[in-house]
Amino acid sequence: MPNTRINITPHHLIPAHLIGEVESKLAYVDETITKAVVQPAGDQITLDLNSPANQDDREHLVRKIQQVVDTMAKGGFKPKIQILEDYLDRPIAFHEDPTEQLIEHNEINQEANGVYSLGPLVAGLVDYFESRFLELAQSFNAKPYRFPALIPAKYLERVNYFRAFPHSLSFATHLREDLDVIDDFAEHTICDKHGALTAEKDSFAPIKTLLSPAVCYHLYFAIADRTLSEGQITATAVGNCFRYESINLSSLERMWDFTMREVIFVGEKEFVLSNREKAREVVRRIFEEFGLAYKVESANDPFFIGEFRKQAAFQSAFQLKYEIRASLPYKSSTLAVGSFNYHQDFFGRHLNISLPDGSLAHTGCVAFGLERMAFAFLAQFGLETKTWPVAVRSSLS
Amino acid sequence: MEDQSKGVTIEQVRALLSTALQVPEDQITPDLAFGDIPQWDSMGHMEVLMSLENHFSVEISPDTITDLVSLPTIYDYLQVNENA
Repeated sequence: MPNTRINITPHHLIPAHLIGEVESKLAYVDETITKAVVQPAGDQITLDLNSPANQDDREHLVRKIQQVVDTMAKGGFKPKIQILEDYLDRPIAFHEDPTEQLIEHNEINQEANGVYSLGPLVAGLVDYFESRFLELAQSFNAKPYRFPALIPAKYLERVNYFRAFPHSLSFATHLREDLDVIDDFAEHTICDKHGALTAEKDSFAPIKTLLSPAVCYHLYFAIADRTLSEGQITATAVGNCFRYESINLSSLERMWDFTMREVIFVGEKEFVLSNREKAREVVRRIFEEFGLAYKVESANDPFFIGEFRKQAAFQSAFQLKYEIRASLPYKSSTLAVGSFNYHQDFFGRHLNISLPDGSLAHTGCVAFGLERMAFAFLAQFGLETKTWPVAVRSSLS
Repeated sequence: MEDQSKGVTIEQVRALLSTALQVPEDQITPDLAFGDIPQWDSMGHMEVLMSLENHFSVEISPDTITDLVSLPTIYDYLQVNENA
C-alpha cells in the first residue's frame, strides 16, 4: 500500500489522445510519486506517493501537476493518426503476460530498474530477430558500422537533445584524477540500502559524456561539418541505447538499457523517403514470416513536457514517424517494437552535413528494439517453442 | 480571442515572423519560406504557428502546420480567413 494517495482534478480535461503521454510524464514531477494514473475520462489524476505529504508539499505537488497538464494539453491540436498497415487480426493462441514465466525459467533476471540479463531462449530470439533485420539492411546494401555506448554531451547539445528529452538522459562519469579521492573511494565507499553509492558527489568528474540514447546519431556526428562527396549513405549498426523512464520502466516492455538495430539513410529527400517506403515493404514480408500481429501507424516521440506540444504536433503533421506496434494480447494493447523515421534536414542543418550540390542532407532511419521484439513475440506465442511459427522455430533449432 | 486578421497587411506578417523567429525584419524577405533561414526550422516553424494562434486565432492543426510554410501562404491564409 502507498503511504499516501491523492486525487487531483486537472484544470483542463485531458483529451483521450494525450492521456498516455501525460501519465508517463507525471513520473518526473516528484521523486515521491510511485504511481500515476489518469482516469480514462481525463478528468482525474490519482497519485500514489511513497511518503506522507504535508499540506505545503501537497499544494506544491498539485501546482506542478497542473502545470504539466496545462503545458501538454493546452490548445486543441489533435494529431492525425494514420494507420498504414493493420495485421492485428492475425490469430493469436497465447494470451498471458510472459514475464512471470520468463522469471521462473531464469530467462530474464532484473539487475536494476529497467536493466535485465537474458537467458538462452530470449537471447536466441533476440539473435534471430537481429539476423532478420540484418537481411533488411543487406537488401539496401547498407554498410556496417560500429558505434560506442558512450556519446559526448557536446554532441547531444548540438542537436537540442537536452531540450527535447532531458528526462530520459543517462550520464557517465568517473572518479576525479586525484589519488586522495580514489583512495578514499576505494577504502570507504559502499552501497546504501537503496543501492546508491555513498561517495561524495565531488569525488566524480564533471559530466562530459552520456550513455547513448540512439544508434543513428553516431553516424550523423561522424559526418558532421562535411560535404558528402558520394551524395548518399546507407548504413547499419546495432548498439545498446539508454533511455531512463523512471516508474514507467517495466519488464522487457520498457527497459533503461536496450538493444537497437538501425538501418540509416542520408542523402536527398527523395532518397530517404523512398527507402523508408521500401523498408516498410521488406519489413512487412519479414513480419509475415514471424506471423506477428501488428500494425504500423503514425506517431510522435515522447518529447518532454515543455517541448511536447510543439514538437509532437510538427512530427505528427509532417508524418515523420511511423511506429510498428505489435499486439500484446494479455493487456489488449500494443507495444512499439520498431519505427520508420524521417528527420527532414534536421540533422543536416544542425550538424552542417551537405550534399555535393550544396543543399542540406536529409536523414532517416528504420529502427528495431530487439528485446521488445522478443517480448512481443513471447506475448503472442508463449515460451513453448513447439507452438512457434516454423520460420522462427527452424532458425533457432 | 478576437480575430485580428481583418485588414492584415504584409508588414504585420513580416513583423510577426521577425518576432517569432527572432531575426531582424530585414531578413524577412517577401518570399521567405520554411528552411530558408536557420531560424525557420521545425522549432521556429512551431513558434510561428503559436504566434499565429495567439495573434490571429489560427488553429494549430495538421493542415495549418504543413500548409503555412511561407510568408505568402500565411498572408494568403489570413486573407481567406478574413473573407470567411
